[in-house]
Amino acid sequence: MGANSLPSAESNFDLDEQISQLMQCKPLSEHQVRVLCEKAKEILMEESNVQPVKSPVTICGDIHGQFHDLAELFRIGGKCPDTNYLFMGDYVDRGYYSVETVTLLVSLKVRYPQRITILRGNHESRQITQVYGFYDECLRKYGNASVWKIFTDLFDFFPLTALVESEIFCLHGGLSPSIETLDNIRNFDRVQEVPHEGPMCDLLWSDPDDRCGWGISPRGAGYTFGQDISEQFNHSNKLKLIARAHQLVMDGFNWAHEQKVVTIFSAPNYCYRCGNMASILEVDDSKGHTFIQFDPAPRRGEPDVTRRTPDYFL
Amino acid sequence: MDSSSHMASLPEDIITDEHLQQQTQPASASAFASVPQRPPTKSSSEKYAPLDWSVYFDKEDDVAIPESNDVFHVYTAGTEGPVVFCLHGGGYSGLSFAVSASKIKEKARVVAMDLRGHGKSLTEDDLDLSVETMCNDVLAVIKELYSDSPPAIILVGHSCIILLTIIGKKLLHHQSMGGSIAVHVAARRSLSALAGLVVVDVVEGTAMASLIHMQKILSSRMQHFSSIEKAIEWSVRGGSLRNIDSARVSIPATLKYDHSKKCYLYRTELEKTEQYWKGWYEGLSDKFLSCPVPKLLLLAGTDRLDRSLTIGQMQGKFQMVVVRHTGHAIQEDVPDEFATLIVNFISRNRIGPHGIEIPGLRKPAFSKP
Repeated sequence: MGANSLPSAESNFDLDEQISQLMQCKPLSEHQVRVLCEKAKEILMEESNVQPVKSPVTICGDIHGQFHDLAELFRIGGKCPDTNYLFMGDYVDRGYYSVETVTLLVSLKVRYPQRITILRGNHESRQITQVYGFYDECLRKYGNASVWKIFTDLFDFFPLTALVESEIFCLHGGLSPSIETLDNIRNFDRVQEVPHEGPMCDLLWSDPDDRCGWGISPRGAGYTFGQDISEQFNHSNKLKLIARAHQLVMDGFNWAHEQKVVTIFSAPNYCYRCGNMASILEVDDSKGHTFIQFDPAPRRGEPDVTRRTPDYFL
Repeated sequence: MDSSSHMASLPEDIITDEHLQQQTQPASASAFASVPQRPPTKSSSEKYAPLDWSVYFDKEDDVAIPESNDVFHVYTAGTEGPVVFCLHGGGYSGLSFAVSASKIKEKARVVAMDLRGHGKSLTEDDLDLSVETMCNDVLAVIKELYSDSPPAIILVGHSCIILLTIIGKKLLHHQSMGGSIAVHVAARRSLSALAGLVVVDVVEGTAMASLIHMQKILSSRMQHFSSIEKAIEWSVRGGSLRNIDSARVSIPATLKYDHSKKCYLYRTELEKTEQYWKGWYEGLSDKFLSCPVPKLLLLAGTDRLDRSLTIGQMQGKFQMVVVRHTGHAIQEDVPDEFATLIVNFISRNRIGPHGIEIPGLRKPAFSKP
């Protein structure tokens, strides 16, 4: 047993060192990322499309590469593993530190697999990350696209939704006209690029709406769903709440559908310009809900991403 | 793909007139006499020869506005579906949409208008490019084309978003008035007007911040061209357009011949319209966001959004597509992709010739039982 424990101890020691490095916003080497993601894949492939989670747990929304604000979130919500976390996707793109952000969350997942749950957002995708920043950031920080490929391959293994104490359904986007029960979600193969349409796309792209029924999403993917839809879904699946992210809300959280659907957004001052608050949702072991709002971390000078002289645009 | 093959065929080195002239001289006895002759490149005048509008559009018309001396030139294509009404950017013309129109017309009708002071349109004051005046111009043209029964219109605007949104709102107002009439005529199909907005490559925040550079940018352009071919060549080599086919059809319409100087100049004297530029961009983000129809924003880069549009996009208020490998004139540089985006937008939002085709049915037809 002593001999068997040695590799595990060594592995944890390395991982703790890497997490410590990442907490200082210093990226891992390409080799370290490759090894890390292989381990993460082994853990994530065992998780369900509807991953069960126990309370107490703190539920978080979009981060979008705002690493220092993620550090602020941990400062306010408590360190992992002392606090259990559930992140609902969109770790990358837009912010300047997608690499450090997603590497840290994956490292924490590997180090404390039972204490942190990381779901897939619509930005955990090859197509989206090539446009909105993660790809370019990987090129800038590693000199090639290998790390981008390693992570985008890993993203396919992220669970799509989570179920807290069988009552709170958590996911990045929203509902789908193709999905009536949680078993519908459990039964399909999630290991693929985010498709342009269909149930898997809808789970990552849809938004709640004030209008009843299903609507064409203004975003160009997913649907909008009204209170009648969420009520039916909650009733059919014996749920009390749908918690989701995906939309910027100025207070960091926003109730909808008579407190049966809540949006949580955890990137304060989104894109370093929106002026919004962020929040996280604490669910205690008596199933009480508490929102904690927070402001952006003190800025320590944004990296010098050179702005070009403007071209003709009349 | 056509675009990329054309781009790939561009010679990498810039050949100046002087250089070209040297090359055409007969070889003379010299130390370099033994150097083999470079094979002749495709003639510049042939590669950059102007193309007629009729290659891409079906028809052109002059629309005379009653009680004025203003005449606006429009190009049209297609016979079925909603109308994709195209408004070009400053210094361009309706032919900026020529290549993409030939693709869009398979699914929808296309109307591309030359705005005041541009292309073949002639008005009493070609320098009055104020939002109010241009807005009235476009509405007048739409009225002349369709009188009081306009089809569903998807307004597509290159840069001029504020013009787009103001026109859009006036069309909606017209629609609501029409709607009230329809209430009293049970059998009458309700009037449709604005069904969608598509804006191409500009955002208020970055635009306002950059306006102070625009006069310098305008003056740094090549100003005089000995031939139309030279102007086309410059637009492609200079990088303002990346698609030769599109440049060959669109650039001629942006020029005029100066008989005294015996050369071609820009048709639109944009530098004299600076007083209006601020009005083109101020407040446009909020106006765009508050327009209650499906909206598509096409951008050439991701770092252009200002605060309002960043919030709006992240709240799911509109669709945004970042088109890669293109400059400012997305509809010219990547016309096939542009046309596909327009057609998909129409299809996804179920916009028919008279508006949303199944307005009462919010559940999608293909939802599983």
